[in-house]
Parts: sequence; C-alpha cells; structure tokens
Amino acid sequence: MNAWLRRVLILVLIALAIGAPLGQGNYIIYVMTSWLIFSIAAMGLNLTLGYAGQISLAQASFMAIGAYTTALLTLSGWHWLAAMPLGVLACFVVGFGLGYPALRVKGHFLAFVTLAFNTLVFLVLRNEEWLTGGTYGLVGIPRPTFGLFSTMRSLPFYYFTLMVTIIAALAMWGIVRSPWGRAFRALRENPIRAESLGVDTRRITLLAFAIGSMYGGLAGALIASLVQFIEPGSFGLAHSLRILLMVAVGGAGYFFGPFLGAGVVILLPEILRFTEGYYLIIYAVLVIVMLIFVPSGMIGIWGRIRDRFIARPVARADLQQGAQLK
Amino acid sequence: MYSKFVLALSTALLTLVGAAQAQEAVEIGVVVELSGAGAPAGTNWRDGIRIAVDEINAEGGILGKPVKVTEYDTQTDPQISRALVQKAIDGRAYAIWGTIYSGSTLVNMLVAQQNGVPQFVGSEAPTIVEKGNPFVFRTSSGAQKGVPALVPYFKDTLKAKKVGVAWVNNEFGRGGRNVFIAEMKKAGIEVVTDVPSEQAQTDYASDVSKLKQSGADAVFVYMNQEESARFLIEAKKQGLSMPLVGEVTLTEAKVIELAGPAAEGAIAHVGITATADQVEGIAAFREKFVKTFKRVPTHDAIKGYIGAWTTKYVTELVGKFDGEAFSEKMHGLCLPATKYPRILLDTCWDNRGEVSRPSFMVQVRNGSPVVIGTVPAN
Repeated sequence: MNAWLRRVLILVLIALAIGAPLGQGNYIIYVMTSWLIFSIAAMGLNLTLGYAGQISLAQASFMAIGAYTTALLTLSGWHWLAAMPLGVLACFVVGFGLGYPALRVKGHFLAFVTLAFNTLVFLVLRNEEWLTGGTYGLVGIPRPTFGLFSTMRSLPFYYFTLMVTIIAALAMWGIVRSPWGRAFRALRENPIRAESLGVDTRRITLLAFAIGSMYGGLAGALIASLVQFIEPGSFGLAHSLRILLMVAVGGAGYFFGPFLGAGVVILLPEILRFTEGYYLIIYAVLVIVMLIFVPSGMIGIWGRIRDRFIARPVARADLQQGAQLK
Repeated sequence: MYSKFVLALSTALLTLVGAAQAQEAVEIGVVVELSGAGAPAGTNWRDGIRIAVDEINAEGGILGKPVKVTEYDTQTDPQISRALVQKAIDGRAYAIWGTIYSGSTLVNMLVAQQNGVPQFVGSEAPTIVEKGNPFVFRTSSGAQKGVPALVPYFKDTLKAKKVGVAWVNNEFGRGGRNVFIAEMKKAGIEVVTDVPSEQAQTDYASDVSKLKQSGADAVFVYMNQEESARFLIEAKKQGLSMPLVGEVTLTEAKVIELAGPAAEGAIAHVGITATADQVEGIAAFREKFVKTFKRVPTHDAIKGYIGAWTTKYVTELVGKFDGEAFSEKMHGLCLPATKYPRILLDTCWDNRGEVSRPSFMVQVRNGSPVVIGTVPAN
C-alpha cells in the first residue's frame, strides 16, 4: 500500500471514529470506549509479543497497576493528568523488572512466569485491603475535567479516550519505525544474529516489556475512569488471555492488528447477542475457525486475498528458510 | 360488500390497537449472570421472573400495560454488567431486575442510580445498601441481617464453644465472614480457624483437613453454590463430623443436586426457600416452577419472582411509571402477604433498600431440604 493511500485511509478511519458515536445510545458509546481502551492495552502487548516476540500473560496486571494508581490518586484529589503518568511510570518500572526473567526463560516458560506475576498482582490487590479496598474494590472514581470540557457524560469521555488513543498510537508508530522498533523485530526473528549485529538484546528485551507495560498502564488509567469502579476480579488471568486473544485475532506484529482484534473480541459478542443462549458458543467457534484458517489474524486475511489475486515477485523459498535458521 | 368493509375496517383497527398496545408495553431489563460462575443463580433468577411475568401479563400487566422483558447475560463480569444495565436503560427500561453477584451489582447500580431507574437485586453483600443509593432494593436480606440470625442456633441449639469458618474469598464471602466473626465475638464464641478459599476452587482437601484438625464444634460455611457443593463432597470424603452450618446457599437445591449424598445433614439459615411449602404462595410457586422447568426452584428463583411482583404492586400503589416516585414509595414500605399474596411472605424495605421478612432454618434430610425452624423478621 503506498503512503498516500495509507494516509487517506487513516484519516477516513479517524473521521469514522469521530462520527460513529453521534446519535447513538449510551450503551453503544460505552462499548466503543471499551474498544478504544482495550486497543491501547492490546497495542502494548503487540509490541511485547508481536514485534519483540516475548510472550506475556500479564497485560491485565499492568492495567491493574495503572488503574489502581490512577484511582487512588484521583480519589485523593489529584487530577487525572497528574495521576495517569505516575500509573504509567509505575508500569514502566514493574514491566522493566518483569523483563528480567525474560532474559533467562523463553517461550512457554516465559508465559508461565508472566502468568504467575498476573496471579500475584491479583492476590496483592485482593488481600491488601487497607490500600486497595480488597474484594470490594474502589468506587466513585472521578472522570477528568479540563476547564469547561467535562468528561462526566459518555460522549465527551469517548472523545477524550479517542484523543488519548490517537496520541498513544502515534507514539507507537514512532517507536516501531525507530531503530528500537527494528531492534525489537530483530530480537523476535533471530536474537543471536541481532546480537552479532550489535543490538543490545538484553536492553531491548527489557524495553519491550517496559514499553508494552506502559500501554497497559495507560489503558488501566482510562478504564478506571470509564467504569468508575475497579476490583481485583476485573484484572484476573482471564482478562490477560482476552488481551492476548485480541492481539492474536487482530494479527500479531501488525500495527493495526490490535484495533481490529479488540474490535472483534469486544464487539462480536455484542453483535451475536441476538442468538441468546448460543452467542458465546458461536463466538468461540468463529475464533477457532479463524485461527485455524488465518493464523496471522484478521490483518492476514487481506494478505491472503492480495497474494491470491495480485501477482507479486516471490522470494526464494531457501532464503525464507534461511532467515528463520538459528 | 358492506360486511366485508366492516370486517376490513375492524381488522385494521384491531391491528392498530394491538400495535399501539405493543408499543406501550412496559420495558424491563433482566440483567443477570446467565453464563460463567454465576450461571446457576442467574438462570434461576431469570426463570422465577419468567413465571412472574406470565402471571402479571395474565392479570392485565402493570397499570394495564403488558410487561416486556429483555434478558441480558453479564457473563458474571462486573464491567459487562455495567454496560448491559446501560444498554437496558438506553432501551427505555422502567426497572432493572438483577444482578445477583455483589461485585457486579456494586458496579452497575451506579448506572441505574444516575438514570433514576429502580433496581431489584439478588445480592447479599452488606455494602450494597450502605452506599446511599436510593434506587437499589434487595429481594433477600443482606449478610449483615441474615448471619446474625444464625447466632442463636450456634449458641443455644448447637451449644458451640469453638467454631471454624470456611468462606469464599470474594465480596460475597468476605462480607458474610466479617459479620459472622463479629457476631461470634459478641456471643462469646471463639473462632478457632478461619479458612478462605478461591472462587471456582476445585480442591478443598487442605481446607477440610485444616477444619478437621481445628477442634471446632461446628463450622460456618459461606460460599457460592458450586464451591459449597465441592466443599461438602470433600468434607464427606474426609469424614468431617461436626455440624456444617451455612447461610442461604449451603442447602440450596443446586448444591444438593451437585453434592448428592454429601449434602446430607447440612444446615442453613435461609431468607426464603422453596421448601417452606407450609406457606401457601411458596407451595403454589414451587408447583408451577417444577411443572414449567422440570426442576426445583432455588431461593434465587423466588427472589426474582418477588422482585417482579413488587415492581407491579408498588407501581400500582404509585399510580404511574415514575422511577423517582417508585423509590420514594419503596422506602419504609411494608407489603403484607394477606393483601399482596404474590409477595409470598410479609415483607418490609427500610430507607436504604434493605429487606426484612421472616426466615427459616433448613436441614438437608433424605436428599431434600426440610424446614426445621422459623426465625422471626429482624
């Protein structure tokens, strides 16, 4: 796709995102806001998993850290704009720490380490009642106000979230196109070769975790304000798996994959609700079928269509193999 | 020709009237746990409501308008439940019936409150009525009222000196456990062991063995349905000999069905139960429920049923569809069962939405719960 066409397409998508909630009920706006927020969380995981190839099952726990930090600070009178960066910073620090095991373990084992971390965060949130409110959680989290622009109502909050999402996406765009972004991909494709070319794989692995976690924290800061209530159950392992599903369904390692994936995971069950008792079954079957036939995610469907109908130069198969040799 | 004209005109008129009536139906949102961990409770709640709505519509609806119910599945997820309460209100719901899990109710009741929509919930965590939300109403009393009703049973009937507590570590379990421990302290009974477990936990071996070694005279078991059943099975396996006493869930039909013979002898205080068939209304409801759904209703089914009928009774007392006026009327209201038979038992709501009504002590004997005593309303 050439750059000009891409720019027009992005502008059309943004215009659609601005126009879509107009005239809709609060429920639709709420679901669309959730979609944007989960897109941010999935964008972070996409960096860790899709670009840098490090499996993480702890994205929900970073959302929790971001959400609780923001909630506790805003409840004690801080403005969201001051509270959110602290939540995101906390995620950066913790994510950096969680990156250390990734230097030693790979693949499934790394997945288990991060899974354990997610459970650990859940238990801390539930048991440290003096700080987190335990199972009762925190209620009445205020939504931010910017002078005359109050986000208390659902439509202004949607636009506020949209703005944050666009800024986060632009930052991500910058990261994946920077030397860091290329280093992340090098780490995923072949860590030994990356190291031999002078990439500091240790630092890049830690950064992949830390930056991915920051996006989780930002999503958490937004979800706390959206729901205005947080409790540990909303950040359990099932939610980490849900974010992982978003990345896998959308297309891991593609910039727009998380948006598409979050859209499918959040909106599809809502669309299928008319089937009543069967909607979760149909949803699960659709996801399984898709992952079998298009393992590269929704974005991959376009690639398949293009390969079938538009002739392109084919890379030599032995060279393709060569890139994967370790 | 003339007769054909009259026939056509009257058909058209009837269709128009029908359409007008259909448009004027009272929308109600049933937002409840139909999948996930809360499904056993949620489906019963929904089925109790289905029976109530059929009855209400057969009797001319509410203020002459038919009731139209839309069911929403929260998947036992608080955030989804919040979105669905919003969806129901966007769909012009006059009232919300649900949710049951306290964690969900705590989130979604904010939405109903902001929109001034009355909400009947099946949740029992004490905090729900402590938030100053004038639109939330319980259908069974909270743990802070239910659990103290158990104290005389531990003290006078079981003559327990030392007790153990086994509870599920979620907002429901923690609420009940905190109240129980405080009440035991007041009654001078020592709590010798305090065993929390996880929601959806499957292995209770170490929990039961801890209780077995604790030397407690009786154990208070406070968990959701599936967890209660698994606990009872493990207790039976390890031969836990002391009485197992619960609040509401422990002797429920679903628990007995899942635990089988392991539920034998379990005791519970229940706000309302389908086993109390000495009460005429409850017996009639039970019969209808068994006939329709081929299973015994749980207390959640009766709670849903009462929530639906209360909406009808109170709206007709108010005389219009007005959420504000409805909740004002509800506060401090008592509905006697003699005058409002489908309320089943004399029921009152205080100014916070908390409910009080007579309750029962129940024990599982020969595979079914039997009422062994009545506790007056407190």
